[in-house]
Amino acid sequence: MVKSKHLILAFLIVIVGLSAAFLFFPSEEKKVQKRFALLSEHVSKKPGENTFTMANKVKGIGALFAENCNFTVSDYSLSGNYTREEISGIAFRGRGHFSSLRLKFYDSKVSFLERDLARVNLTARLTGKSVYGEQVDETRELICHLKNIEKKWLFSSFEVIEVLKR
Amino acid sequence: MGKVAFRKIRLFLLPPLTKRFFVRILIIAIAAYLFFSYICLPLQIKGNSMEPTYPSRGINFCWRLRYLFSEPRRHDVVVVRFAGSKVMLLKRVVGLEGEQIEFRHGKLLVDGDPLEEPYVVYPCNWNLPPRKVDKGCVYVVGDNRGMPIENHYFGQASMERIMGGPVW
Repeated sequence: MVKSKHLILAFLIVIVGLSAAFLFFPSEEKKVQKRFALLSEHVSKKPGENTFTMANKVKGIGALFAENCNFTVSDYSLSGNYTREEISGIAFRGRGHFSSLRLKFYDSKVSFLERDLARVNLTARLTGKSVYGEQVDETRELICHLKNIEKKWLFSSFEVIEVLKR
Repeated sequence: MGKVAFRKIRLFLLPPLTKRFFVRILIIAIAAYLFFSYICLPLQIKGNSMEPTYPSRGINFCWRLRYLFSEPRRHDVVVVRFAGSKVMLLKRVVGLEGEQIEFRHGKLLVDGDPLEEPYVVYPCNWNLPPRKVDKGCVYVVGDNRGMPIENHYFGQASMERIMGGPVW
């Protein structure tokens, strides 16, 4: 009886230890996925968002990017290299066109090309309502690269996959 | 005789909760999960690019084994993987690799010859300069050509993205 009690206690300690390890020492993959969760949170906008929240979110978006980030979006003038400040500016103007916005990521597959370079293939879905009342619902497959700079995974490139090429 | 039949029906509808019954339920659940996750994927059609053949909000299934031993042919309706594993496009194959595709005054030309398309019902005035379909690709377009060309998502798709065909 005493032996079985000890066994149960040991089992519980192992479970708690493993949970704590996963929680406090996340894997690099989890850290990369966390960046997407943050990007989603910062891009998303609730109706009636106040100026303070907006400024915080735009600042937060800029902080997720490397000093230079490359965007490849076919058929759009958005393609090119942008600095962190330029990205914050685009995010500020872009969010201004919407009264509500929601960005969600799905089906992410993370692979590490080098120790400090991650490649993520995932689906992004942007839904919301423009200030003119138009509904927006866009889904795209993306390939993103993130660089580990000073122990932080930062977005260094975004490519929108062109599924149907005219 | 009537009693026996009634007993059989009752046993079929309300079987005794035996170990064998639960094993059978488990096998059916696993088989259904695998079938509908990997072989016959349920689809809900959103958008009107395939009207009138496939109206918006319709329900269908993507038969993954459709092109297991064959290649998509012209006029086939195919399911193209668009993003991730859940977002797909329903389109019709109009051009095969190496062919030249062109829209002239709403008429689809393949290698310069007009293509008969009985499934296109709405009038169309699309114009698109000629382009060659790359190797390992097919050219897909929706049946609804009544919408402006800018709003219609079409073009060449890699064969790797062809998931299968609709069941009906």
